[in-house]
Amino acid sequence: MDNKRNYFDRVHVWGTVWNYAALFMMMMVPVMMSIVLNTWPSLSIIGKVVATLAPLYWVTGIIEVVTYVPMLGAGGTYLSFVTGNISNLKLPCGLNAMENAKVRPNTEEGEVISTISIAVSSLTTTLVIAVGVLVFAPIFSSASDNPTFKAAFSNVLPALFGALGASYFAKHWKLGIAPIIGGVLVLLVSPSTGVGVLMFVTIVISLIAAVIIYRDLFFPVIKGFGKKSKKATAPAETEESAQEEE
Amino acid sequence: MEHFKESGAMYAIAFGVIAFIAAQSFFFIIKSWKHGKELGIKKETLMNTVTSSILFSVAPAISILVTVFVLAKALGVILPWIRLTVIGNLAYETVAAETALNNLGGSLSTEITDMKQFSTVVWAMTIGSVFPLTFLPIVCKKLQKKIGGAVSKDEKTAKMGDILAAAAFIGIISAFIARAINGCTVTTEAVLDANGNEIIEAGKRLTQKVVTESSGALSILTLIFAIVFMLIFMKLCKSIKSLEKFESFAMPLAMFAAMGCAVIFSKVLPDSIANFTWYEIGKAV
Repeated sequence: MDNKRNYFDRVHVWGTVWNYAALFMMMMVPVMMSIVLNTWPSLSIIGKVVATLAPLYWVTGIIEVVTYVPMLGAGGTYLSFVTGNISNLKLPCGLNAMENAKVRPNTEEGEVISTISIAVSSLTTTLVIAVGVLVFAPIFSSASDNPTFKAAFSNVLPALFGALGASYFAKHWKLGIAPIIGGVLVLLVSPSTGVGVLMFVTIVISLIAAVIIYRDLFFPVIKGFGKKSKKATAPAETEESAQEEE
Repeated sequence: MEHFKESGAMYAIAFGVIAFIAAQSFFFIIKSWKHGKELGIKKETLMNTVTSSILFSVAPAISILVTVFVLAKALGVILPWIRLTVIGNLAYETVAAETALNNLGGSLSTEITDMKQFSTVVWAMTIGSVFPLTFLPIVCKKLQKKIGGAVSKDEKTAKMGDILAAAAFIGIISAFIARAINGCTVTTEAVLDANGNEIIEAGKRLTQKVVTESSGALSILTLIFAIVFMLIFMKLCKSIKSLEKFESFAMPLAMFAAMGCAVIFSKVLPDSIANFTWYEIGKAV
């Protein structure tokens, strides 16, 4: 147990150092570009832009951190938040690797596999983009307009999440019904709901559905927790009865 | 001076960013690999993780590369390259750049030739996206400790943890599946008059939300075929002993096969079906 905590603690120390180094490096990009161009943006315009973007970016940022950390493990989280493209690449890649290696997230084995997978994915993505930009720029510029390639690449996400979903639904098909229906209903009401917000809703629906489906396992624990809370505080009574009704 | 976006100094900045990402990734691979060996994880499992992760990442990486070129039309190739290599994500980057340009009276639909506009876009894209890095280490450690404590308790708690983790994963996957079934993406664009000029009201460009992507026949067919291919590959790997070691490649293969089907469907189906989307592309909402 001590070794386990020691390893996780070490990952957090490495992650923190790399995280703040990345933050510094990121901020140096606009600084360096402004120095190179000898042009600085006016503070008032930056202020206006940040005021417009902050509610969108920062709220989503908080939701993303809370949602992804439990899935990606410590090392995977620090890497993913620096290299980006989490929901459409790093997260499914890490999940797929843990599934293949038959390890659970938040165990040391899961931590190792998830971190290697996300680090390899980051390197691959960086290499593909760099080679693509340097070597294939003219070819890809015309390929992106080619309807044949367009059909394949505009459907990367359905292909990716269809295949990933199948491996999970094969094992837990009951858990898939409620969140998919819930997601579709949300999109019927508001079709352009961003994936960050939609994901938050489907995760909540999925967790509630899981507790109800596996009620034999969860309800005794919830009831036990409710009784303990009832002794401690009065308002807990309302929560308990609500859960029983569910 | 329009080449200022792709000068030698700009390339040097991009290479600096890439070197940082490579160093961080290699650092974590080496540390995790060593610890994996200490835990007794087989070398074959670790190698399989590397190979399947490379295969898994190629198609989405090419799709990100295509988006670099989409943004490159306005911003040059270096800035989208950096932004989509670090933290970036097409939706955020497009919104940030467009918002910054709107405040300056410009738009992503035209090439930026003004250095001040370019500099503002660079700052806006960076400030918008670095926020999670400011608090991530604090939250990450606390969340991990709570979850780790729950996982390492008794068997019943571990089972509940497994179910909740699977439910959370399925929740994430479901969001994307729902979007493939009936979602759409909108972006803010300038409103044009009959002559194709932007309309300015009270000193500001008039804008509207326009559908840029929508699910439809092709996305639903790709989704269904990806599921079917994956189920077939999984079944093959389980029932044929010699194919067992290829199980980790089932997922990227199913993904590529489904993307191939999307290409075939776009060619063989009548246009009215292949191009059918729930929400008309280019329509204002």
